[in-house]
Amino acid sequence: MDTAVRPESETSMIEDLKRGDATAYHRAVRDYSPGMLAVARFYLDHSSAEEIVQDCWVTVIDAIQKFEGRSGLKTWLHRIVANRCKNRLRTANREVAMDFSEILEPELANRFNSTGRWDLPPKLQFHDSADTLMENGALSDCLDKHLSALPETQRSALILYEAHQQKSDDVCNILDVSASNLRVLLHRARQKIFLMVETFQETGEC
Amino acid sequence: MLMCRDLAEIASDYIDGELSDRQNLSVKMHLMMCKDCRTFIGNLRASSELMRAHFSGKADDEFIRRIDERVPEALNTRKTKGNDSD
Repeated sequence: MDTAVRPESETSMIEDLKRGDATAYHRAVRDYSPGMLAVARFYLDHSSAEEIVQDCWVTVIDAIQKFEGRSGLKTWLHRIVANRCKNRLRTANREVAMDFSEILEPELANRFNSTGRWDLPPKLQFHDSADTLMENGALSDCLDKHLSALPETQRSALILYEAHQQKSDDVCNILDVSASNLRVLLHRARQKIFLMVETFQETGEC
Repeated sequence: MLMCRDLAEIASDYIDGELSDRQNLSVKMHLMMCKDCRTFIGNLRASSELMRAHFSGKADDEFIRRIDERVPEALNTRKTKGNDSD
């Protein structure tokens, strides 16, 4: 993010954090930890990821003094988490396993015939707006279940891109994936959710 | 010619505006003629919006609470260190 377009609220939060204001930390922890955890979960198991995010906040207390605002606060925090995770993986001599070979989910790919036309087209339109759909508690629970079942790599990409609306370039940087591979991760995750909502709307079952 | 399966492969790129002008045009032309793909794109877009709505405000309270406990301790330690060095 360019410092010239940084929202005033972020600028004042950064100043408060630099002063060591506990209320500002409380707000920042609440606002930014879910995204930081999504980054960490891309690389590490759940408990290691939580541990890294907690440690990062302690690091931030000192590091924020040197924060020059070349990126947005969120991107800066995500990079700190990513670097820590990469260091830990390097120490453990491990790599994140990812599969970018198939663009289509097998369940969707099977719905086309050999000429590339739909054999089993989508029958229903998801008419309702997202907010109305979310009011359906059962659908929300089902979504939770399916999101937890996504491979961590897809879920982290999805959370950063969809929920935290980070720019593609930043997500690629933080997760260390190429732009084309990020597109595959996002598309695979969205297809899974599309298939889930479709089943839910057709059968009422998760 | 762009087939339905080809469109399904690049559907997210279309939704996010990541296609080249040429690809974008072929998707639009295909969508004008294909009701099934219009439904698919609409539903995929709705799925993406649904996730956005679902994620917003989601936080694990217990996890946040644990960090909230550690940060003030670390802030105090820093302040103490700062005072010592004065």
